[in-house]
Parts: sequence; structure tokens; C-alpha cells
Amino acid sequence: MNNTVLELKNISYKYKNDLILNKINIKINSGEKIALLGKSGSGKTTLISVLNGTIKPTQGEVKLFNKSFEELDRKQKSKITTIWQDLRLIEDLSAEQNVNCGLLAENNFYFAFKNLLNISSFKKAHKYMQLCKLHNSVYDKKIRKLSGGQKQRVAIARSLIQGSNILLADEPFNNLDPKLITTIKNLMLESVDKDNTKKSPKTALVALHRLDLLNDFDKVIGIRDGKIFFNIKRNNLKKIHLEKIY
Amino acid sequence: MNKLKLNFTSLSFLPILVCIPLGYQLINNIHFGGFKLFQEFLISAFNPKIDNEIIITVIKRLNETILIGFFSWLVSIIFGAIFGIISSNFFYKIFNIPNFFCRIIRFFLTIIRSIHEVVWGILLMQIYGINFSIGIIAICIPYIAVNSKVFAEQLETIDYKSFESINQINAAKFSSLLTLIWNPIINTFKNFGLYRLECSIRSTVILGLFGIGGIGTSIFLSFQTLNFRELWTYLWSLAILIILSGLIFKKIKFNTTNKILSIFFIAVFFITILFSFSYFLYFIFNNIFNNNFENTNSVSSLFKSSSDLGLFDFLKLILETIILSLLSTGIAISLPPLVIGIFNNNTSKIFIKIFSFLLRLIPTPVILLTLLTFNNPSVSLAALTLGLHNAGITSKLLFTNLDRQDKRNYIAMKSLGISKKTSWLLGLFSQQAKSYLAYCAYRSDIIIRETAIVGVIGSVGLGWQLQESLSSFAWQEVTIVLIAYSSIAIVGELINGKIKNSLT
Repeated sequence: MNNTVLELKNISYKYKNDLILNKINIKINSGEKIALLGKSGSGKTTLISVLNGTIKPTQGEVKLFNKSFEELDRKQKSKITTIWQDLRLIEDLSAEQNVNCGLLAENNFYFAFKNLLNISSFKKAHKYMQLCKLHNSVYDKKIRKLSGGQKQRVAIARSLIQGSNILLADEPFNNLDPKLITTIKNLMLESVDKDNTKKSPKTALVALHRLDLLNDFDKVIGIRDGKIFFNIKRNNLKKIHLEKIY
Repeated sequence: MNKLKLNFTSLSFLPILVCIPLGYQLINNIHFGGFKLFQEFLISAFNPKIDNEIIITVIKRLNETILIGFFSWLVSIIFGAIFGIISSNFFYKIFNIPNFFCRIIRFFLTIIRSIHEVVWGILLMQIYGINFSIGIIAICIPYIAVNSKVFAEQLETIDYKSFESINQINAAKFSSLLTLIWNPIINTFKNFGLYRLECSIRSTVILGLFGIGGIGTSIFLSFQTLNFRELWTYLWSLAILIILSGLIFKKIKFNTTNKILSIFFIAVFFITILFSFSYFLYFIFNNIFNNNFENTNSVSSLFKSSSDLGLFDFLKLILETIILSLLSTGIAISLPPLVIGIFNNNTSKIFIKIFSFLLRLIPTPVILLTLLTFNNPSVSLAALTLGLHNAGITSKLLFTNLDRQDKRNYIAMKSLGISKKTSWLLGLFSQQAKSYLAYCAYRSDIIIRETAIVGVIGSVGLGWQLQESLSSFAWQEVTIVLIAYSSIAIVGELINGKIKNSLT
């Protein structure tokens, strides 16, 4: 049975004269947890942006559930959630308003309006913020007043509240202390359904720098200068692989 | 030989050189016939007329001014925000609409705001007659376009990455738009909206001088009858209104997290839109479909009438308008730092602040009419008037920024034995010069448009020609003058935009 959820076919991306991604082929199956390794500037962020449809590749095809991005409707697209390296939170909104933004896809315009006026329910947002170990004193604080670690957890909570099956994360453990990393990693990789009753396999692709965090991943992809150097099971990862990309 | 190097500080003072040709013409044009009147005008400032009758008139006229000013502000700020949204690139990115439409809307708004509210007012009064709502419409038309530019500029500062992130959540387009623009719009309203209310009140006063009603009309009538004591009663009451509104709005805090207040603002927003549309439809129906306006024949003669305006005269008027703008801008830029720098002590500062407040308070036509008591009408006199009025505005900004600035450099320089004036120049003003010049670039856009007001009164430039053509219902000439005005203002705005961009 073909259970591929995301597929990159011969993807290249050129920015000005630089080739950022060079003929990338990746298949991500349902429930797979993949770690993406590579130096800074190797193309990890661009690859994630291509995978979530933010960047259109210069060449090649991206398929989600065997359909190209153009063929997908809004509901299907919302099955992907992203935690960006630079977080991309809305600085002027409060932490809880930002987390509620994760619910915009499943709600109407009136919800967005209520969220901005602070008259929507923040019950769900608070639940996810609690899961991310955010203290209730930060709930109504503007993003610009939060510390780096708090902002990171708000971004993670916003992503988790979407309840999407596919998670793309770009160095999500930055700014977090070791104790929090374990909790957040478990939260991100474990799938919790919206009603919190049923667990379904979550697909994740996470860009990482720290090798000690690889334990929970099934596969490891190594990228350098926009090219994939290896795409192997985690158990097969050896020093020689890492030397190729670092 | 050392090369002359210009920096922002020296560039702030250089325009004062305009005073050489300006002073030469003013001295040549001086006459002593009206010195007594001028003296009387000044003395009356300390002895305004106060009795029951005038107090009742003041209250009545101020009410009219507040009503016209407030409604034109409310409508222009709300529609300004709406047009600001649809003229920002951001809107088109969210909805995947070609940017071409954005450029068309921006061009259209640039033309509208290039014509001063006084010109709109005179034009509309000529067509529809004097009417309370004409004042509101005349202010709203250019103000919507001016406000939309400010809102659009603010929306362009939204981080594109926030847009990508919301877009990736796959929210509905309108939800994404609202979430992203909400705070920039609210912040622009907080920072800019109240200043625009003050502008609306000033514009109402100026339109009043041309007969639209309110305290401006009373000011003009008392000036015409040379009743200076009465004139100062109106001017001081206007000063109290402006100071009080400033104080009240300083106290009001627009807290968007207050649910009741937010709902109230949204209700006001929608009621204003609804009311404006209803009124617009009523106006169209009443005046156009019923063919009810006064000078239908005059308007329809637009394509028939031949213009008596010769090409040479017309070019001369354009040149006069450009010279008028340049001279006024020169004064508005350089006079405040020069005066503040020379008279750099606490007592002088108080006097300069009071004087600049009076220059802002007294409408330019009144300043010009006062100066005409001892000087013949000329480009220089009109430029001096416009320059002084705008210097009152730029000096307010300069004072505010200098007061906020860190004074450690200034203190350090003074402790080294450097003179107070040099320390002020290098330790304080030099750090403000760049942002001050950027603001002056924006101010010169307004000066170009304001040449219309002094032109009408001072018999110079296109403003005077516009008044003449309107009085004789020469609609073809009116159209030509308006096109010329608009072109000068648009070119000026483009040049100032480039200067402003290079400074920020």
C-alpha cells in the first residue's frame, strides 16, 4: 500500500544565481519521523519552505497526498503545520492571540475578529500553552515582551493547536533548556487528536543541529550545499555520514 | 583647497539663503499706509472683546467648527484606512491579485490629494452653493487620500515572514488579512489619528474664511470690518479649543483589550460607513439626478467655453507657484533651527514656543492679510506667510524631538568649555538633523498644496488664477489650472519621496 504523504520529485530551487536546492528527491511516509541534518546555509530552511508550499521550486514537483499543491484545497493544505526557525509570530499580538491564530484555518472570519478583540475563547489556546510549559502570567503578554524560550514555546503551541498530521519544524529546540527539550520533543512527535482521545501516527520532518536528539527519529536525511548526501534509517547512521555533511 | 562638504546639519540651515531675494523684494514693496492697522492688530491680541453677545457667537461658531471638523475627521480616517488597505501591496499579496490595481488606486489617490481642501471647497461651493455638508465633503476628499497614504505606508512595514506564516496555516484570506493588519491600523490610528483631528479643525477654520461657516467665517468677517478685538476673541477661543482637544486626547488611552470600548469603536466604524454611503447616495440623487445644482449650465459649458488665459501668462503663474513653494519651504526648514540655536536659553525658548503656536494658530490667510497692511502683494509676501506658518509647525516637531533627546553629548561638550550655541548645534541638533529634514521633505508636499490658499488671497500663482476663473465660471480655465496644480503637486511629491527615502 502506498502511504506516502509528502513527496519531492527532482526539486531544484534557484535564488538569483545561486542554486539553493539541487535535484532533491524525498518521500515521506505516513507516521515517519525524519531528522534533517546539515550545516547552517545547507538548504534546510529552503527545503522546509518548499515542502509546506511557501516557496515554489524552480524545477520539480511537490506532492501532498499524491496531489500537487495547486490541486489541494485549503482544508487539505492545513494538514501541514510548520514551526519556523525565526518563529514568525505576530509581535503586536499577545501570546494567547498568537496561539489562537493556529485555529484560523478551521474557523471563520468572525473568529479572527473576536481573537483580535480579545473576546474569543482562549480555553484551547491555554491548554496547549500549558502543555508547552508556559506559565499563565505570559498568556496575555505581547510577544515582544517575552523571552526567546517563551516565544519558541508560543510558536510550538500555535503549531500544535492546528492538530495537523504532518509537522515540519526548523530547529524547534533553539532557546529551550534541556529539561524542556525532552517534554517539547515528545509533544511534537506524539500525535494528539483534537479531542485528545485518539492517537494517530504523526509524520514529522525536523531540522536539527544536535545529534543527541536523534533517538526518537526513524530516518535521518543529510543535506549539504542543497544536495542530499544520505537518506538512511537512524540505526544505520555512522560517523562517515556526518563527515560528509559537516 | 578644501572641498565644501555638506552634511545634514548644514543642509538644514542652507535653505535660509532664500531670505536674500525674499527680503530684497519685501523691502522694495514696503509701504507705510497700514502700519497703524498692524499696530492695532497686535495690541488687540492683549485686549480681546468679551461680552455676552460675542461669547454666544463664539460658542455657536465653535460648535459649527467642531461639528464640521469632527465629522470630516471621522469619515476621512475611516475611509482613509479602507483605501490605505486597498492601496497597499500587502492586500494584493494576500489575495493574489495583480499589483497593477494597487498602482491604479495609488495614482488616483495621488491626484486627489494633490489638490488642497480649500480648492475642493471653492470648487464645490461654486457648483453646489454654500452648505454645511460641502465643508465636510471638501475636507474629506483630500484627507481620505492623505490618510490612505499614511495607512498604506504603515501596512508596507508588516513583516513578510508573518504573512508567510499565517498563509501557511491556511486561514481564510480575510481572516489572514485582518489578523495581520489589525495592529498596524490601530497603531497608526493612535499615533496619527489625533493629529489629523487637529488638522481637520484647522482646515474647517480655513474653509470658514471662504464662507463655509464656523469660526473661520467670523474671523474673516471681523477682519474685513477691521474689528481686531473681535478677531482676537475668535482666535483665542480657537486656541483654547485646540489646546483643550489636545489635552483631552492625551488623557484618552485607546485600549484595544477593553471589550466594551472595542465594540463601541467597531459600531462607530460601521455606522460611519453606512451613514457616509447613505449620504453619498442622497447627494447624488438630490444634486445630479434631479439636476438640482445651481450652476449646471456653467459646468456643462466646460467643453464649450474658450480660455482667455494666454500660454505665457499661464507659464508665469506655474513658475510663480513653484518659486512660492521653494521660498516657503526654505523658510519652514531653516528658520526654526536657526532661531532656536541663536536664542538658546530658557526664556527665549518660551517666547519662541508661544510665537510658533501663534503662527500655527492664526490661519495663513489672516497672517497674509495682516502683512498686506504694510507690504504690496507679491510672491515673496505669500512665501513669507506660508513659510512662517509652516515654520510654526516644524518648530513644534523640532522642540518635541530635542526635548526627548539624550543630552549627554551636549552636556559633555559644554563641560569641555565649548560655547553653548556650538554645543547645541553639534551635541543636540546634529543628531536630529536627518530626521528633521525627512519630516521637512514631507512638509514641503503640504506647502506645495497650500500655495493655493495664499495664492487666492495674495494674488499670486495658480491659486489666484483659480479664484479668478471660478468667479467668472470659466470652467475650461479652472480645469487647466487644476491639472497644472495637480501636476506640480505630484512631481513635488515624487521628488520629496525620493529625498525622504534617501534620508530614512
